[in-house]
Amino acid sequence: MNSESKFNFVKLWAWMSAAFIFPLIWVGGLVTTHDAGMAVPDWPGTYGYNLFLYPLSTWLYGPFDLLIEHGHRLLGSWVGFLVILLCIWAWNTESRGWYRWACLGLLGAVIAQGLLGGFRVVLDQRTIAMIHGCGGPMVFAYASFLAFAASSDWNRARPTLKANGLWRLSWVLFGATVTQLILGAQLRHALPYTTPVGFMSMVHLHLTFAGIVTLAVLGVFYLVRRPEYQTETKLRSPANALAALLLIQLALGVGTWMVNYALPWSETMPSLARYVIAAKGYWESMLVTAHQATGSLLIACSTWLLCRVGKRQSTLTSSRNSFTIPNAVDSMASEPTGAIRILETVE
Amino acid sequence: MRRFDTTKARVFLGNWRTVLRFPYSVPSIDLQRSSNPLLACFLMILAATRTHLPRNLAVSGWLATSGMLAVICLATGCGRSELGYKPNSLHAASLTREGTDQNPISIAKKASEVVETWFGNIDQPKWPTDQVGLADQVLRMDCVERCAGPVGRGIDKVERGLFRKHCVSCHGLSGDGLGPAAMLLEPYPRDFRRGTFKFKSTPVGKKPTREDIHRTLHDGIPGTAMPSFRALDESEEFAKDVEDLVHYVRFLAIRGEVERRLISLHVREGVELESNSQRMQEVLVQVVQKWADSPDDVLVIPETPDYFQTPSDDSDHAQRIEKGKTLFESELTACVKCHGPTGAGDGKSQDFDEWTKDWTILAGIDPKHPKDWKEMKPFGALKPVLSKPRNFHWGAYHGGKSPSEIFKRIVLGIEGTPMPPVARAHNGNPGLTDQEIWDLVYYVMHLEDR
Ligand code: HEC
Ligand code: HEC
Ligand code: HEM
Repeated sequence: MNSESKFNFVKLWAWMSAAFIFPLIWVGGLVTTHDAGMAVPDWPGTYGYNLFLYPLSTWLYGPFDLLIEHGHRLLGSWVGFLVILLCIWAWNTESRGWYRWACLGLLGAVIAQGLLGGFRVVLDQRTIAMIHGCGGPMVFAYASFLAFAASSDWNRARPTLKANGLWRLSWVLFGATVTQLILGAQLRHALPYTTPVGFMSMVHLHLTFAGIVTLAVLGVFYLVRRPEYQTETKLRSPANALAALLLIQLALGVGTWMVNYALPWSETMPSLARYVIAAKGYWESMLVTAHQATGSLLIACSTWLLCRVGKRQSTLTSSRNSFTIPNAVDSMASEPTGAIRILETVE
Repeated sequence: MRRFDTTKARVFLGNWRTVLRFPYSVPSIDLQRSSNPLLACFLMILAATRTHLPRNLAVSGWLATSGMLAVICLATGCGRSELGYKPNSLHAASLTREGTDQNPISIAKKASEVVETWFGNIDQPKWPTDQVGLADQVLRMDCVERCAGPVGRGIDKVERGLFRKHCVSCHGLSGDGLGPAAMLLEPYPRDFRRGTFKFKSTPVGKKPTREDIHRTLHDGIPGTAMPSFRALDESEEFAKDVEDLVHYVRFLAIRGEVERRLISLHVREGVELESNSQRMQEVLVQVVQKWADSPDDVLVIPETPDYFQTPSDDSDHAQRIEKGKTLFESELTACVKCHGPTGAGDGKSQDFDEWTKDWTILAGIDPKHPKDWKEMKPFGALKPVLSKPRNFHWGAYHGGKSPSEIFKRIVLGIEGTPMPPVARAHNGNPGLTDQEIWDLVYYVMHLEDR
């Protein structure tokens, strides 16, 4: 059991899992954009076939909504497979007990997502689709967290920071992006009987939180350049990534509104007056899906920021709440638990 | 929360076992009908967590799972609204506002029940064959059925629920124009239930043809939220979808108009709301007949003059513009009154559309007065907005930008909006000649900034 071996498979595999969950989010987003959730009426089979045995030609040359829905399922199983391997590897090579459990946790989360997706189909419930849609980005953030926690920065970072501001702001940012995800899901999965007033409030809330996220990202961008954080140059990469993604996300958000509902200022500009929404257009659905996927990236990046700041936060070691302290979790979990001991004896 | 129903749980677990026989799983669509199996699943997962996994399992995974599933149980167990066509209580409220003390909600509900016996419910629409004969003359019920109901493919791979997939976010389940996004759009999405449509080839008071609605769906309406469904129309896979949706729009319009007329028959003349009442059935027949195909109503458009395609020399051009301008500014046509002297849509006369007047002015409410119209908000009324005359400088024609479409708009007017039809010389009646109308078209199109 040695995480310092030359080639760290756990790290590679954690990255792989995260890297495959991201396209899964894209395809899932396309399923929502095209309202293709019920393109395959059964689950876990596909039209009575086993998931993996569904004829390739019928799938690839079949209707578009069936293509993406079945593709989403296949990709989902592939991710599940990757995460199972990750767990096996982690149990065999990873020395940090909490990390091994966390990998198992990821497996649980991936399975839960799969079940949710299945129930969405079996019960034809849009509410479940919404929860499944929120779950995706959270699982992605979780997998990214595992990847960050296996990174060399995680091992090397030393608690030097005394100021607390950035740490707090990072949590605010994380909370705001997650809230934004949930609000966005209310718009994307608006039920047919959602009232106009209810929908409008969600739009206003989504815009408000876009403001909060923007302020938080600007704050982070500014803080990492302040004297108290300046020495830790490693904090800048997540901050810069967040700023760049935010700009993209805001533009995509406006674009999403435009291709779904047209901009409200058609009386002010000839180009808007002439604009016709193209329903189910290729670029239009890509744009909408990109907004949702970039939202997930923002959550993952705020997780990244949390990891980088948290590992450097000296104030945390004296905090009473050990739950949020990665270092404390490290030391706490170094004592083998029941199950690990069993595994060790088996070995 | 509903009681935990063990029979349902057993049904669910039974099906779950088939699910577990993974490679040979059978489609388990029947499950859709058992209402709360999620609770069973939740309990199962809890049980699994207790027995198979060590207790000190920290943060992640199962906890999150149970949390999520608990949320679903709550959401689906208590919060599931029944889907259905919404009763037209706004119409009932505006009719009963003065002079009666009847309850609009209960009237609307009763009318809705009568209509349901004829047209079926939101998942299973039907046609009142006994009262009005076969549907063929008016619409095709197989198309209507494919558009109604929840979104998805059946085991036969046929896609259903097209209306909920493509239209419901704006037009609402009942086609009342009150979908989730309605409030944020301007103009508001069309309320089909009045049976009034703007862009068509038939005169005011007549119904649009199938091609008219198809054209709207194909091209969309620029500057509004109404999308173009060209991508569907032109793909092999979904080519039939748009035509089917046209039938469903007609179905919703017929259904909605019957409902409206029943409500007013009841309020105005005190006829009991019953599906076997003679008077009520007469209304049904009348409305359906209005929608039957009648090619005679369709405007025959004279051939578009050549000079619209091939630019003519300057003196001809200037002459035509001059003629058109004179007509545009004349007392006879009064175009300037609304569209303004330069055609920028800023004329003195600004008014509301018929959908708004329906529940405001007809009910004695001043649409400009917030205190007044807010009285109707609980019944689903949206803030009245003016029906803006078109600004010709932008060349954004909502009913199609070809000369012949604009010819249609000028000759026929735009029903439901202040835009009136011009008086056209016809069988000896005085009015504009076709040549003069083409001049108007020419002038209006020339106003576009280039
Ligand atoms: C994003 C919102 C939106 C969606 C989605 C939408 N519509 Fe519309 N629709 C509108 C708006 C807004 C109008 C009103 C335009 C106007 O008054 O000029 C409209 C108008 C119409 C009209 C009336 C045209 C006329 O001549 O009066 C029809 C018919 C129609 N829509 C059918 C559909 C159908 C069928 C679908 C689904 C396939 C659909 N719409 C989807 C927003 C939408
Ligand atoms: C009482 C007011 C009024 C008068 C008079 C009037 N219009 Fe309009 N017009 C409107 C309104 C309102 C609209 C926009 C209707 C809508 O789509 O909601 C409109 C729209 C139009 C359009 C756009 C059609 C399209 O497809 O977008 C044309 C063209 C037009 N008017 C031409 C004329 C001409 C020519 C005259 C004179 C013969 C005229 N109008 C007189 C109110 C008026
Ligand atoms: C920081 C900025 C933002 C973030 C992080 C964000 C995040 C998201 C996410 C994650 C979703 C998808 C939810 C899901 O699929 O479950 C979403 C949906 C949406 N967002 Fe944003 N958003 C932001 C800003 C904006 C802005 C400025 C607008 C402009 C109006 C906007 C408009 C929308 C719309 C219309 C949807 C629904 C898309 C649909 O109907 O398919 N967002 N948002």
